[in-house]
Amino acid sequence: MTDPVSPLRLSASGMRAQSQRLRHTAENIANTDTPGYRRKLVTFEEAIRFGRPSGEVEASRVRLDRRELPRIYDPSHPMADAEGYYLGSNVDLVIEIADSREAGRSYEANLKMFEQTRQMGASLLELLRR
Amino acid sequence: MFEKIEMMRMARAMGQHAAQRHVVVARNIANADTPGYRAQDLGYHRATTGALRVTNARHLDRPDWSPASRIVTPDGETSPNGNSVSLEEEMLKAAELKRQHDLSLGIYRSALDLMRSSLGRR
Repeated sequence: MTDPVSPLRLSASGMRAQSQRLRHTAENIANTDTPGYRRKLVTFEEAIRFGRPSGEVEASRVRLDRRELPRIYDPSHPMADAEGYYLGSNVDLVIEIADSREAGRSYEANLKMFEQTRQMGASLLELLRR
Repeated sequence: MFEKIEMMRMARAMGQHAAQRHVVVARNIANADTPGYRAQDLGYHRATTGALRVTNARHLDRPDWSPASRIVTPDGETSPNGNSVSLEEEMLKAAELKRQHDLSLGIYRSALDLMRSSLGRR
């Protein structure tokens, strides 16, 4: 339990990264119908602390999905061009929902690990109390 | 001072091993979605440095109960992004670890009780 790399910190870093991912997923879903919106993506990578890999995880910088934006025909739309098309967003709701599910699962797994670490620490301290 | 007692040393080593493996499992779960991350595990490794060697079959073996262990990277199936962590497997390991840790603490506690009663206290 006196390890410098505490499992509590590892689990907490996992939860932080997953909630950031969930945040971007929510942002994407909210902007499904925004014209010209590009889907935001984050990947995970190992955190570097003081120049050394620490084993903790963190979300990378936000990147935009380079996929082509769909052309939607709607002449009455204020942003429509001369031919009546405007650019929609490249958010795919199915992907976003699947992504958010996965993030939720991983978050729960980290939370369970956090809880177990706490329990193990508490039972260790119980030895002292007697 | 309690290190002299075999039972307590054993329990201590078991608890330490459980705590170290717990760190590895926590790291695996934190990196469950990191591309290219390979799941790690902690294998047992009986330390032989400094321990007395048994030269005769009738001599009593005196094992060195130290939690020395090494990190291994087992080959497993990887998902398309090169990650080989299976959450189910890690959960299984976590449950096993919890049990091991509880067991080692239980043994340690009963050893303490034993010493206490040998001192004539309750």
